[in-house]
Amino acid sequence: MQYFTQLLISGLAIGAIYGLIAMGFAVIYKSTGLVNFAQGEMTMITAYIAWTISTTVSGNVFIVAIGAIIAAVVLGLVIERVVMRPMLGEPVFATVMVTIGLAVILRSSINFIWDAYPHGLDVGFGRTIVRIGTIGVRTGQIAVIVTLLVLLAAIWAFFRYSKVGVAMRAVAADDRTALLMGISATRVHALAWAASSVIAGIGGVFFALSYDLSPAMFQLGLKAFPATILGGLDAVLGSGLGGLLIGITENLAGGYIGSGMKEVAGFVMIIVVLMIRPFGIFGERDIERV
Amino acid sequence: MMKYLATASLLLASAHLATGAALAADQGITDTEIVIGDVEPLTGPPALLGVAASIGHKIAIAEANNAGGINGRKIKYVLEDDGYVTARTIQGVKKVIDVDKAFAMLGISGSGQSIAVMPVLEKAGIPTVIDVAPVKFLWEPPRKNVFVVGQSYEEGIIHLVNYLADKNPGKKWGLITQDDDYGITVRDGFDTVVKAKKLNVVYSGNYKKGQQDFSSDMLQLKESGAEVFLAGGIIGENIAMMKELEKLNIKPVVGIFWPGRVEPVLKLMGPAGDGLYAVDYVEPFAGPAGKAFLEKAKGLLSEAEMKGINRYSMTGYAAAKVLISAIERCGKQPTWVCTIAELEKTKNVETGIMAPINFGTGVRFSNQKLQIMQSDFSTLSFKPVN
Amino acid sequence: MRTGDFKQTYGELVTLIDSPPIWLWSVVLVAALIVAPHVLNSYALSFLMIILITVVGALGLNILTGYTGLISLGHVGFLVTGAYAYAILVSKYQMHPLIGFLGAGVVPALASLVVGAPSLRLKGLYLAITTLAFSFIINTLILEARWLTNGARGISVQRPEIFGISFDGDAAFTYLCLGFAVLALFATLNIRRSRVGRAFVAIRDNDTAARVMGINLHAYKLFAFVTSAFITGLSGALYGIYLSFVSVEGFPFLLSIEALAILIVGGLGSALGAVLGTILIVLLPEATRMVFSLFSAQMDAMFTTGAQELKSMLYGLVIILFLRFQPRGLVGAWHDIRRMWVNWPLRY
Repeated sequence: MQYFTQLLISGLAIGAIYGLIAMGFAVIYKSTGLVNFAQGEMTMITAYIAWTISTTVSGNVFIVAIGAIIAAVVLGLVIERVVMRPMLGEPVFATVMVTIGLAVILRSSINFIWDAYPHGLDVGFGRTIVRIGTIGVRTGQIAVIVTLLVLLAAIWAFFRYSKVGVAMRAVAADDRTALLMGISATRVHALAWAASSVIAGIGGVFFALSYDLSPAMFQLGLKAFPATILGGLDAVLGSGLGGLLIGITENLAGGYIGSGMKEVAGFVMIIVVLMIRPFGIFGERDIERV
Repeated sequence: MMKYLATASLLLASAHLATGAALAADQGITDTEIVIGDVEPLTGPPALLGVAASIGHKIAIAEANNAGGINGRKIKYVLEDDGYVTARTIQGVKKVIDVDKAFAMLGISGSGQSIAVMPVLEKAGIPTVIDVAPVKFLWEPPRKNVFVVGQSYEEGIIHLVNYLADKNPGKKWGLITQDDDYGITVRDGFDTVVKAKKLNVVYSGNYKKGQQDFSSDMLQLKESGAEVFLAGGIIGENIAMMKELEKLNIKPVVGIFWPGRVEPVLKLMGPAGDGLYAVDYVEPFAGPAGKAFLEKAKGLLSEAEMKGINRYSMTGYAAAKVLISAIERCGKQPTWVCTIAELEKTKNVETGIMAPINFGTGVRFSNQKLQIMQSDFSTLSFKPVN
Repeated sequence: MRTGDFKQTYGELVTLIDSPPIWLWSVVLVAALIVAPHVLNSYALSFLMIILITVVGALGLNILTGYTGLISLGHVGFLVTGAYAYAILVSKYQMHPLIGFLGAGVVPALASLVVGAPSLRLKGLYLAITTLAFSFIINTLILEARWLTNGARGISVQRPEIFGISFDGDAAFTYLCLGFAVLALFATLNIRRSRVGRAFVAIRDNDTAARVMGINLHAYKLFAFVTSAFITGLSGALYGIYLSFVSVEGFPFLLSIEALAILIVGGLGSALGAVLGTILIVLLPEATRMVFSLFSAQMDAMFTTGAQELKSMLYGLVIILFLRFQPRGLVGAWHDIRRMWVNWPLRY
């Protein structure tokens, strides 16, 4: 039982990170209809900026957090304005390809600006180990699970009650009608990129806190994308939960079947789930009219 | 068509032979200059080893150039990036040989990459000294023009496991390796000792390259009750494993291998990384030889380059040193034939950072002496153990 | 007076080459490719080889993604199975290289029946992710099946000798690649102009409508997967031979993305686009390197450190700018140029 609990907690902790990044994917998809292949890279950049702040400005956890959020917002807005907005109205394929080009640039900027050595993010928080019986958890791991749950609730409320949230849903549902209703699609897009950058960036910073920073961190995007698909590409909350599911599945498979199975288990689950629910667990079914 | 193809390829083959022989006399060498080529991963995460190795080559080359070059010829160092992609390594080597007309080669990239360029190097016949990833395939069977400075992964692991086994008799063992050729060699070395010493292995894991979360693997290790653990990760993996072990509140005796033996790792592991056993054939930076090496490098490198130094700079330096001294011994008109013959005669070449280097007739592998070292968290360094 | 381009029969509509100048240029191109291996040095030749090998793979993916509209993020899975099938048959069991190539086509084709099955139910990105999942699962299977594949150790592959002709030399091997590239090109062009190809395109454009018109969606989607995997597998075998060493390592996931990049940059759904896209994507790193080396003299000191990354950044930037100004890909650019040529000085 203890073995199981320990696996479950570790799974939840890594799953929460996947979930945050997966939500980043879903936010952009929901409001712009694009898959952002540079999500993992944006996450990595935010984490590196957080690290730079912690080593040059101050290691205080609040300063680092606020700095990282501001950096993520700026990153998202700049990318939207400079790279994505000129592609408005172009074929979806070409636009998605642009995010792949963007990913190449961002990935290279790590070694260009920083270096290839691994670094640890030290903000005086998150590394302490809490022991409950024989089960050990780091405070950072607890924090990331809590953060994910809080964000899930906040985002649910945002889409449900706030005017902007309703506008975003409107653009996602039918952008032309939304435009006629006086909603600015570009503003919604900009907001989506900024929000996605922040949500995924939080995941990245937590990752850096629990593990370490390295130029290979962009691969988190590759791990989180399946989580988005599992939850449903257009389901922001579903993606968050999808991340948790994948994290748990991976760890249970690694713990009970064998370490070789760990990285594949998530993928096997996706295939099985998609065969039963082709639009993800929480995704909206696309009803075609002929 | 078939006939045409046959004759065409025949013609071409003979043409290649002819030009090959003609070029061999003096490709890459003018009255004032001699070109040495290299292909390394300079971008992406593996830049960690590629940049370090190239810096090592640079130190040796700058040193030789400051001393007046090789018999009056300055060395020009041509470096290509392969991004750790095998196809690009092949192209890089071809470029260095065909376009830059290199006289000799150093390097070359990772183990899979150097294995893949073997046919190209053999066909070209260019004198080559390999230092980055010494794996058996590169010198078994020996190839005329390819020399390897270092020690095989397998021998390294055998040395380490033997040491740990003698020190911790009758203990339970755990092992985790990466699922690639590197991991397999580590496992092979481990298995050799397990068989010879009848070790009791209670955990044997295998992780996928790129895995970042090791919580379930380390939990399995804990459940198995292993007391001695060979961590077969490279850099990030070993860090993640040590942190997991700390979290799970167990502290087995841990051994790591040289590809992961870079100093910044210790800082990231924190106290959990204290007392790790490692094996290597180059001197640790904390020792007098290591300090002398850094001192020498300081005068020859830029500040940015100094930051990129790690153990691979030492192996790179040694290989470049061996190559340069062989060319030097060829006198005024070095040729490929002479350089290869002189490389073969390499005897007790001193580098100051590893045991003297030797090759011999039909011996293409320097078989460096290994030593065990242990990490020290308080000084963030590795220290030799006797 | 007749002006413009006329078609009077259905036959004319689907001919591969419909005008003498195209005939002429095709012949010139083929002649140039036959002469090239004797003129180029082995560095330039290695680019030609890579381009020809990649063209085969890109054409394979084009059938699936370009014609049928099914996105695959896991095509590297077929590439690696093809390479392994060849390596196992030829290097391990000493079979004839032609059997090896046949196996390199058939084994991925069989695998594609499994991979393609979800396509009967899934669409778009949901399908893309299952193909991605399969490519990871295939890698794991290869690594686990040590008795067959040598696991992570990989398999060494020699350049083949077929009917007494050795393809060991670079020039000879280039001819072999050229042969496969030409075959793949004719195969895809012929598929495109046949009943099957029209069915593929109908599915891409609107699968519901295609179904109403009596196209068996299940059969045709699977057929697209099978042909695509067959051709891609051949490319994998060639790539394995080029690398002289087949291992999972040599086929990174990045290749899947690169293959899609080739199609999109070239122009989706066109064989010509796949060819042009391949040339651009393969030569782009070399081009950025050359631009870079113009400045290298001054930046020599910087070179060993992070500055190398500028090259990759330039590569990404070129892709972005290209798509920004020519979102329909190289084929779109080609059409624009042709129209300009005919209509100049008028715009239309």
